[in-house]
Amino acid sequence: MSLLEKLQSLDRRWVYLLGWIVVLVPLTNPLGLPVSIGRDSTNYYNYIEGIPDGSVVMITFDYGISAMPELYPLTVATFHHLWSHNFKVIVVASWREGPMVMDIVLKEMKPAENYGKVYGEDWIELGWFAQGEVGMAALRKDISGTLPVDYIEKKPTTGFPIMQDVKTAEDIDLLVSFETGTPGLPEWMRQWGTPYSTPMIMGCIGVMVPEVAPYLQTGQLSALIPGLTASAEYEQILKHPGLATAGIDAISTSHLLVIVLVIVGNAAYFMSKGGGGS
Amino acid sequence: MADLFGIWVTVFFTLAIYTFLYKENPWFRIAESVYLGIATGYIITVDLKYLRDQWTGVWSSTGFMMTAFAFAILIGLLWYFRFSRKYFYLYRWPLAVIVGTGIGQAMQTIIFAQFLSQIRGQISLPLFVAGDLMRSFNNILIAIMVPSVLLYFWFTGGSHEIGAMKVIDKIARYTMMTGFGSACGYTGLTRYSLFSGRCQYLLGIPPNPPEAKMAFITIAAAFLLTLIGYDVFKPKTKEIPT
Repeated sequence: MSLLEKLQSLDRRWVYLLGWIVVLVPLTNPLGLPVSIGRDSTNYYNYIEGIPDGSVVMITFDYGISAMPELYPLTVATFHHLWSHNFKVIVVASWREGPMVMDIVLKEMKPAENYGKVYGEDWIELGWFAQGEVGMAALRKDISGTLPVDYIEKKPTTGFPIMQDVKTAEDIDLLVSFETGTPGLPEWMRQWGTPYSTPMIMGCIGVMVPEVAPYLQTGQLSALIPGLTASAEYEQILKHPGLATAGIDAISTSHLLVIVLVIVGNAAYFMSKGGGGS
Repeated sequence: MADLFGIWVTVFFTLAIYTFLYKENPWFRIAESVYLGIATGYIITVDLKYLRDQWTGVWSSTGFMMTAFAFAILIGLLWYFRFSRKYFYLYRWPLAVIVGTGIGQAMQTIIFAQFLSQIRGQISLPLFVAGDLMRSFNNILIAIMVPSVLLYFWFTGGSHEIGAMKVIDKIARYTMMTGFGSACGYTGLTRYSLFSGRCQYLLGIPPNPPEAKMAFITIAAAFLLTLIGYDVFKPKTKEIPT
């Protein structure tokens, strides 16, 4: 059996083993590869920096636990950015597991101790709303009516000072979405972006980028963080290194492995085809 | 103590799921079943809490709203006729309500949000951006590729054999393949990002708990020993000639 044939019939488990090695080794022994700051992360940072103090920002968790490895570092960095300013932050979730992720964010960030933010005045968590797009439509018309009880203190939403001037989507100055799929940006765009022209920025997992990038070009989406690499860049701009920065070496080496495997696989296929293989 | 137990449980289930990379095995099946059970339980709990919260809002304010709430619950319960052969047709009512409201909401703005805005964006794209060669090149590519793909799907049938359409056809196919390639590349990127994130937990990289590292080494060794050991020492079965 020639080397080419051996390569094509290689047990896939050797590739998985290589995958483990190229991820675990740089995580235990960081290579310190440079992180170059790209346009997307800079736009995202500049957009938040450009919002006036006192603006009302709604953050929506459109992802669950399974996407945490890719979106959690961005979520933490964005909260750090927002809570370092004087914004009013309202947290909702169109995915059921969203509040569960927020619990982990709060455990790590402790907004009262580290940022001096008072719950109910500077920020509030309203929890999950049902029915995806229909829920978004209800929320845009009546935020407190759609989510009548807050998630953390379980008190009527209308009783909190932060909600006194926030009634509908018109009172929201920026919508920040972290997402992995449906419901997500297209739904927010249809229910909030188009009727109310609510400005939106988002962070998404890499696989969604080809789907959402066209909205960036049309200006419907103001800024986009596409995947973990851009999250690491954003952490660098913020000077707040987190899990994305810690994992960037592993991401680089694993992508290198994929590129090498694609080249080797294609080379083996075409060369064996040229030699009479199928 | 409870935290430490939670860390070991997390590492156990993470690695149990990853054992599938080696082969289908009982560790994986245990983790799969537990995951499905917990996920279902979580969904039911969150839904019931949501119903309770809704009741404390406008739904309990007047007699009419209370009746409407009860009616909505009744409609919702009709979902369960999915499991009845005799009354299966009743399940179509809540389905119709869900699909109807969903489509109705989406159709209100879909033309503006996803159709007209994209056309406007395409038309208003400047072909030449002063001082930015890459952007100009990108915009020219978009101006050629997008109409090519649209034409590929519009003029189906014999028109594909006409001179100019042959070229457009080819550009469209290359465009779509580039798009699929990009989606595939990003999929690989996402998978490795997710995997890297789990590995950060397993190695106890801050802010993950450092105790996870010991749990990782111990449980990984136990899984490897059981899986490889079973393969080495399992009774040999006779191959049936085909």
